[in-house]
Amino acid sequence: MKCIKKKVAEELEAGNIRMNHSCPYHPSHFVGQNCTFCYCPFYPCEDPRFGHFIETGRPDKVWSCEECLFIHRHFLVEFALPKIKERRLQPDDHEGMMEIFHEAVEKLWRPGKAIMVVGATSDAGKSMTVAALGRIMLRKGYLCAPFKSQNMSLNSRVTAKGHEIAMVQMLQAQAMGLTTPDYHMNPILLKPKGNTESQVMVEGKPFGDYDVPGYYNDFVPGPGKEIVKRNVDYLKNRYDYVIMEGAGSPAEINIYDKDIANMRAAELADADCILVVNVEWGGSFAYAIGTVELLPPEDRKRIKGIILNNVRGDPEKMREGADELARRCGLPVMGIIPHADVQLPQEDSEAFRGVKTKGNGSMRIAVVKLPRIANFTDLDPLYTEDTTIVFADCPEDITTADAIVIPGTKNTVDDYKWLVSTGIADAIKSMKGKVPILGICGGYQMMGAEIRDPKGIEGKVPGNYKGLGLFNNISYFEEYDKRIIRDKAELVTGEGEVEGYEIHMGMSDVKEKPLFNITNFGRKGEVEGSFREDEMIYGTYIHGVLDKPAFRKKFLSLVKVRGEKPAEGMQTVDDYDKFVDQNLDKLADVFEKGLDMKAFMKIMGVEE
Amino acid sequence: MKSILFLGTSSGAGKTTLDAAFCRYLARQGIKVAPFKGSNLSLNSYVTLGGEEIGMGQAFQAWASGLEPTGDMNPVLLKPAGNGRMQVILRGKPYMDIDRNNAMDRETVMQKACESYDKLVEEFDAVVCEGSGSPVELNLIKTDMANVGMMRARNVTSILVADIERGGVFAAIYGTWLLLPEDVRPLMKGFVINRFRGDASILGDGIEKIEKLTGMRCFGVVPYETLKFPEEDSMSEVGGALGNGDIHEELVKNLDRLIDSAIEAGVDLQGIYELMLE
Repeated sequence: MKCIKKKVAEELEAGNIRMNHSCPYHPSHFVGQNCTFCYCPFYPCEDPRFGHFIETGRPDKVWSCEECLFIHRHFLVEFALPKIKERRLQPDDHEGMMEIFHEAVEKLWRPGKAIMVVGATSDAGKSMTVAALGRIMLRKGYLCAPFKSQNMSLNSRVTAKGHEIAMVQMLQAQAMGLTTPDYHMNPILLKPKGNTESQVMVEGKPFGDYDVPGYYNDFVPGPGKEIVKRNVDYLKNRYDYVIMEGAGSPAEINIYDKDIANMRAAELADADCILVVNVEWGGSFAYAIGTVELLPPEDRKRIKGIILNNVRGDPEKMREGADELARRCGLPVMGIIPHADVQLPQEDSEAFRGVKTKGNGSMRIAVVKLPRIANFTDLDPLYTEDTTIVFADCPEDITTADAIVIPGTKNTVDDYKWLVSTGIADAIKSMKGKVPILGICGGYQMMGAEIRDPKGIEGKVPGNYKGLGLFNNISYFEEYDKRIIRDKAELVTGEGEVEGYEIHMGMSDVKEKPLFNITNFGRKGEVEGSFREDEMIYGTYIHGVLDKPAFRKKFLSLVKVRGEKPAEGMQTVDDYDKFVDQNLDKLADVFEKGLDMKAFMKIMGVEE
Repeated sequence: MKSILFLGTSSGAGKTTLDAAFCRYLARQGIKVAPFKGSNLSLNSYVTLGGEEIGMGQAFQAWASGLEPTGDMNPVLLKPAGNGRMQVILRGKPYMDIDRNNAMDRETVMQKACESYDKLVEEFDAVVCEGSGSPVELNLIKTDMANVGMMRARNVTSILVADIERGGVFAAIYGTWLLLPEDVRPLMKGFVINRFRGDASILGDGIEKIEKLTGMRCFGVVPYETLKFPEEDSMSEVGGALGNGDIHEELVKNLDRLIDSAIEAGVDLQGIYELMLE
């Protein structure tokens, strides 16, 4: 405590430093934060809106407020700092400090406002609308958080604290300038296992497996509602706005009272809603008015406006219809948004949509189209290179490729059986040493000598399987347990660093040279992955391994196109994260242009 | 009345295929049936024995009906040429190019379309018509030909095909019904939910509610099938595979499979036939 008070004294001396760009952790919370009070003069405030007690095992509890954002707002510092100076308060005068704290809370703190983007269909563009609106608000200086109560996706990421949430909420958090997204932003994640069950993740950790009736009849009326409420409340306490995303259509009247992803979530958060309709397939006016009119009156009145999204061609052609729709619904059409030509990670896999190839670059990279492919955004950085991605579902796709990637899967055992039955397994083995091969997570497990599932945890029935044999590793599924962790690592061969996360059921006995040295604080000496440089074979559990340039460039440098090295000089992306950020800006530009900003800001409660 | 019009909640809702399946269903019973689409926006066309250019969808539906395709089955074909320009094919022959400043005379073209329709009605026992896109594109209703246009011109009884794959199906049905101009709304007697995966009993409550709200009847829920059919419109996704036999026969075989699985799922094709005879 003494040490903290000393730091606070130094801070008071330094005055309002605004942003500390020289700090290696900057920005530790959000873009544009105030760094003056890295150590809080009000500690411990013990206000449950800003922190919580943690059990330490000793009799006295410890107050934790590392997730407090209030102290990092410019308006707080501008209010509190002069008052502390005026009253000549010393750092250890807790009572005096708390007086100022209470004044500040009284004057400056309000719970955030929740707004929710609902869609007339799946793929209406809800996720991207949330991201765009969030980036627009960030540019205006507001602090926003994304929220999706329940997300069904096999595309997840790991937060800094080791919780698993949907990739899209992480992306939306990035759009909103947040550097440490957390599980509150997607407290329920459903991961379909490929049959009829889904693994339900609650607050970032596995909760149990449910089938559809079990989920709707037991989980939702049981813990579901409370989970949504406490997490959205948590965010409202910390952010100016919580920009929520619905799931599918809110007007599925056959399951209306069992749906906690749409209007029930809006009710729990007291959110105003914006309805987004994808114009691309036609029928958008019908979808819009039908959605509004099927909602019960108390939910209908939450809908404040309609966005017609993804218009190809001249948006003005929609104007007359939009005016008529507004008149019929009694709601403003607050935006006609043209199709945005941006490259951002996709919620649904292209591979699921019958797309056979992507891009038309010179390197032909076969990505094995596993039936339960998961975390396929791992591949997105490859699209930015001089590549043609082939979603391989037959041996010919493999044997004609210049490189092979075996991606992750929700079910290693069942997908490995598929790999063998399609002949793709033999095709991959035949390419050993001829082209570079990379396996990620489930794909890495398949590359080993054996996959052991003696209790039938991964597959439905117990069994041990001979793997591809590219590595001598043995992977096994012993317990119903899951490893969820973030990794920073360096290539053992010295080309640089990678950053990502592991999410897997099952572990591996590694009998190969490691590919990476883990560099996370406190994990010195740990290693990860496998490789055989002479045979160009690489395997890792780290999702996102291709995001940073080091490993991606190394892997692609091994690719020869029809026996020749591809021409140099093609403009490629270096850091995929920065590339994504530029595209988020582009997306926000498109929305800002197509939106009636006055109408939008009115919904946000701001009169401009 | 011996014709029926399949409308859709959106492009790619499955109108073309269900229309063809229904043609095939009638033809199997020995009913002399012909397909018709008042106006078609497509770059995927077919040339008839008489040298007329029509939409591929109608050619496919003709085969399903056991017929050689003819120009009357798709009297108006609009072929986008980019930059807002469009070639108009009228009764199988190039008629004019339209663009921003150069509109076609809708009355004349519609008249010709109706003449083709009348010819088919006279010649056949049943005419199965297909709409185009959604019938309630508020900015297009005034100039519509294939949907509201045909309903107004010839009082054609209609069925709405609603795609459930992307969700929001009840909103789509109810919204289409709400926005359909009141003079033609009573002609839309029922709906079919298309491309459903899973146990259809979960939809029961929703269907009942829509039936009550609109007075329309649900003629069934068609299960999702990955059968390959000609692509009318690049928006739809392809799945499944065709066998190695004669392409027409393979297509019709696929239709037979679709009909069987629809009937097994309780889709009331006979009911739709009875509706068109009313």
